[in-house]
Amino acid sequence: MRTATLQKSDLDRVIDLLSQADYRVIAPQNQPRLEGPDSIDVATFQEVQPGDSHNIGEGLSTTGIKPFLFPKDEPLFAYENRGKKVVLTEVSLDFPKTVILGVRPCDVASVSSLDAVFSDKNAGFNDELFTKRLEKTTFVSYSCTEPDVSCFCTSVGLAPDSDKGSDLHMTELPDGTLHVEVKTEAGEKIAAVIDSLLSGEGDAVARQQAGVVAAEKITRLRDSASLLPWLQDLNNFGDEMWQRLGEKCLGCGACTFECPTCHCFDIVDENSGNKGYRVKFWDSCQFDHFTLHASGHNTRNSQFERYRNRFNCKFKIYEDVFGEKGCVGCGRCIRGCPVNLDITEYMAEVAQKATTSAS
Amino acid sequence: MIEQIREKARELLESGELDVVIGYAEGSDPSRTTPIFCRKPEDTDKLVLDGRCVNTLPAYLNKRHEYPKKGWKKTGIIGKGCDIRAITQLVAENQLKRDEVYIFGAECEGVVAHPEKWDGSLHEGNCASKCSSCDVKIPLDTDFYPGEKPEVDRSGPYLVTAPALATLVKMDDEDRFAFWRDDFDRCFKCYACREVCPHCSCNICITDRTMPSWVDQAAHTKGVFGWHLTRAMHLVGRCTGCGECTRACPVNIQVDLFNQKMKEVIQESFDYKSGYSMEVKPPLITYNTDDTENYIR
Repeated sequence: MRTATLQKSDLDRVIDLLSQADYRVIAPQNQPRLEGPDSIDVATFQEVQPGDSHNIGEGLSTTGIKPFLFPKDEPLFAYENRGKKVVLTEVSLDFPKTVILGVRPCDVASVSSLDAVFSDKNAGFNDELFTKRLEKTTFVSYSCTEPDVSCFCTSVGLAPDSDKGSDLHMTELPDGTLHVEVKTEAGEKIAAVIDSLLSGEGDAVARQQAGVVAAEKITRLRDSASLLPWLQDLNNFGDEMWQRLGEKCLGCGACTFECPTCHCFDIVDENSGNKGYRVKFWDSCQFDHFTLHASGHNTRNSQFERYRNRFNCKFKIYEDVFGEKGCVGCGRCIRGCPVNLDITEYMAEVAQKATTSAS
Repeated sequence: MIEQIREKARELLESGELDVVIGYAEGSDPSRTTPIFCRKPEDTDKLVLDGRCVNTLPAYLNKRHEYPKKGWKKTGIIGKGCDIRAITQLVAENQLKRDEVYIFGAECEGVVAHPEKWDGSLHEGNCASKCSSCDVKIPLDTDFYPGEKPEVDRSGPYLVTAPALATLVKMDDEDRFAFWRDDFDRCFKCYACREVCPHCSCNICITDRTMPSWVDQAAHTKGVFGWHLTRAMHLVGRCTGCGECTRACPVNIQVDLFNQKMKEVIQESFDYKSGYSMEVKPPLITYNTDDTENYIR
């Protein structure tokens, strides 16, 4: 498909043109901060209007794009008691035509992990709240040139310049221009909208090289090939490693909520007088009541078991059920963990244990 | 200083006087340290203590984190002055017995506000604001302190340290509400602020209760405000000001600003500073029959 060159300084114009073409544009944006040393920079994906600031191409955003496909909370329907009748009102599934701009390769690859759960491809049930949003969403991805110390995408089969799941992929070249690659029909449509800003055929060689240079900056390198067979051996479920590494986990849900592929949710009725909503909202397998039964029995009764579940979910359950990993190596669970519990330390231990037992 | 602590910890583990020593070890990247549970004497070689040691380790002494179930008869814990203040408060609230723990203290030079700001050293630009008016750099209550512990005057009042609080207080109600509504938009209710807190010690948090549901569980505006305001109120007169809730927040919301404000209120209303005495009880969790206020009788 088509390749071209785009000037980085024209990204603002890209937002203008896409907005004019009736796209809702989502881009990473630095959030306003308070003064003082305790204030830490934070960037999130937000809806942007022409003229708004954005930080496309500057580091990895604090949170990913998950909320635009699977919001942290959303009503499933509204209900109202009217005498003996209960009136239900469905929510609209008419989502706006959206383009997510400047999404990093790890984040765009994660969409396939969410799709595996929410679409009827594997699960046999189609969650329209997700799939109808996905149908309306186009992903314009942007290669990483400066991966940080927590990034480990190359350990899970991705790379700083991967275009998996992307509709239109951009890579920043050393000369400051962007090499643009159209990947899908949805990407073609975007290219048509911004056609006046595209020129030539880009520079495929420099783009390849940029990817190689970026990958060399990644320092967390783990062998993930040994994970699946080791995890599938049920004797290892009781390995001493789980308790030793997981002991410090305090049981918050930071890793799961920052994770682009974690997808667990809960449903409750939020009642107010004689009406209310049935609401779907994010839940976390790290919470102590996640597996608490009505009987009082808890199948994962201690914190290390909950983290063992999270690790197994990413590298065993996902592989068994969907044939792919449930981890894209974005490193947010490492950066966001209050006690520095590090998923790559588990990966390293497993790799070592697998090698030792094989020899 | 850490050498002397390592030596003492090793000695007490060897003699069996302690079952475990909770401290800090090198983390998985150079900007971070991580909690470590030393059970074998040789584990103590891994202990470190410097400006990167941000965690408030007494969170692990919290009932909520199944501390009593661990079967430790005596726990050693390494603490900065502010962490030890949390232990003092836990004892004052009958959440912990003083003789269950053995406190290793050392002089603290302050800690980094967030590992992200660590650039190899601690300086004015990256030191947490709580350290700027700290009167427990020499910790108050310790079982082991390397060298001679100097006397420190700690009679001064609690001082708000976050510069941001002055800005917020000056705003009118509408602007302040708008500020929090926008900042809370990022909150997804992971409860990191709760889990790192040594004083959030309820076995079942009120926000996790569903029959009835007191606080909406979903992370919409109402649910998020419900959680943060409940949390702020439940810590009034109890928060010892370690600032971990803000530091731990994965989306960088400065939730401890509520606690700092309430600490100031408690100081003014009750002349009480939490974490300085095991005997003086926090004003809002005590009941006196001779209370001069009669609204509760």
